[in-house]
Amino acid sequence: MGRKAKEANSLSRFFPVEINGWRVEGRDESYDPQSIFDYIDGAGEVYRAYNFERLVARRYRKDGEPDLIADFFDMGTASDAFGVFTHDLEGETVEIGQGAVYKGGLLSFWKDRYFVSLYAEAETATSKQALLGLGKEIDSAIPARGKKPVLLSYVPDSFDLKTIRYFHSHLILNYHFFVSVENILHLGPDTEAALASSGDKPDIVRLLIIRYPDAPSAVLALRSFAKAYMPDAGEPELVQTEDKNWTAVKNKGDYLAIIFNARSPDQARKILASVGEKIVD
Amino acid sequence: MPEKIFTRRDFLKMAAIAPLAGAVKPGFAGVFEKGPADKVRVVLVRDKEALDSAGRHNPGAIQKMLDDAVMALFGEKTPAEAWRRIIKPSDTVGVKTNVWSYLPTGRAVEEALKKRIMEVGVSEERISITDRGVLGDRVFQNATVLINARPARTHHWAGMGGCIKNMIMFVPAPWAYHADACADLATIWNLPSIKGKTRLNILLLLTPLFHGIGPHHYSAQYVWPYKGILVGQDPVAVDATGVRILQAKRLQFFGEERPLQPPAQHIVLADTRHHLGVSSPDRIELVKIGWQENILI
Repeated sequence: MGRKAKEANSLSRFFPVEINGWRVEGRDESYDPQSIFDYIDGAGEVYRAYNFERLVARRYRKDGEPDLIADFFDMGTASDAFGVFTHDLEGETVEIGQGAVYKGGLLSFWKDRYFVSLYAEAETATSKQALLGLGKEIDSAIPARGKKPVLLSYVPDSFDLKTIRYFHSHLILNYHFFVSVENILHLGPDTEAALASSGDKPDIVRLLIIRYPDAPSAVLALRSFAKAYMPDAGEPELVQTEDKNWTAVKNKGDYLAIIFNARSPDQARKILASVGEKIVD
Repeated sequence: MPEKIFTRRDFLKMAAIAPLAGAVKPGFAGVFEKGPADKVRVVLVRDKEALDSAGRHNPGAIQKMLDDAVMALFGEKTPAEAWRRIIKPSDTVGVKTNVWSYLPTGRAVEEALKKRIMEVGVSEERISITDRGVLGDRVFQNATVLINARPARTHHWAGMGGCIKNMIMFVPAPWAYHADACADLATIWNLPSIKGKTRLNILLLLTPLFHGIGPHHYSAQYVWPYKGILVGQDPVAVDATGVRILQAKRLQFFGEERPLQPPAQHIVLADTRHHLGVSSPDRIELVKIGWQENILI
């Protein structure tokens, strides 16, 4: 058995062979970061942006019912399993794994270093029950629990902790909150970032915290951001933007914290000070 | 001097000046210019019989829809006359399709197109129908005419996958165009393998996907039997019309304005930044033929 087949086989052990009368259909399929586009099309880039290592897909079939498709991602680390889960938080929260949402025939959850997506080709009452049952079986087959990224603990309580996005890539940042066409914050595989929100539309305040590999990298990113985004700053690292709101940035050691859409300079400074106090550098 | 970097603040500036944009910015004025002579024609054809009872494409109805659409587009009385407006017997023709497993272009559409292309006099060996194989396909490499046909669907990176985006397989690294919600997809249309060759853009709205979820960005809950096809020569106008229909369906389904996530800005930018075609409804002559019930536009 080759290495890929062994890895796929090792992930397949988390799947049950049957759930509520749905049984395994065909052989499990395995994909890596190069082949994922054969299976998922353009959105495969999301999983690559979270450094995923392997995906195993299994199909379940039951006569007279829609097929169920289980996609099991080994993300390499718990942080990235959590991160890819935060990419799409739309749906009803359910108690499966370490965080789960259900919507329109799709159940997704994360646990340990794994992200799991369970999908019914059509949503029915029975397929929903089967998906939830399948999720619980897979959850119980994964013995360990993972730790959420430490970065999240630096987000002040005034932000919605349930909707934080965690990521590495400039592409993912722009998907959730467009900052710049260019990667002016020097995001990449060796950085980690958390984007948090507070308030309701259209007055949502955004907080972005980024950890760089070292302090000089953080300073370089600060200069790049300041030059591209706030060249007209009246005072260092604080600017009023065209929508009359305020953007501010602060560096501490390996970290940058940026506040977007603050209502006032005072609000921006207070939030950044709060983040600064929490960061243990 | 280094080129200016486009940031969120540039969007905020545009939002601030938008009410006056047509009056004060020459670059925007043309977009909103009115007048029948300036309008680009897009045909929306619908047929109640386009799908069978199982939701499969009905080949007979599809052929008729495409025939009616190209005749209406070019103002001709027969399909043959209409096709001769864009293809001559000596052409080499690549039909760019889409093989996405949940919503492929489909055999009925491919066969309907091939039939009419061959009737013009193009021999079978000078016709190729493919999606992901375009770069290695000898017919596509030598193509003098491209026909672009794919289903409309929401898309994780582009907002909507439509005719503009369908040419992404002509580049070796498609994901390189995902930045900023695929803002510069239209630049692909400047490649020598595409530029000036695409004579017809066909956006299938037989069972469009109006909302995407999960890794596969698909749920059967979010497709509906619209039974329509948009046809035009301008890919931007065709896509811009398709987006309006998807948005209208989202409003109807969700009961509130739910903008595409991400916004399909690449379509507007294909007009305003890259000048590939027109995106404003004011500059599009939309011809509606066939079934009108729940047309949404």
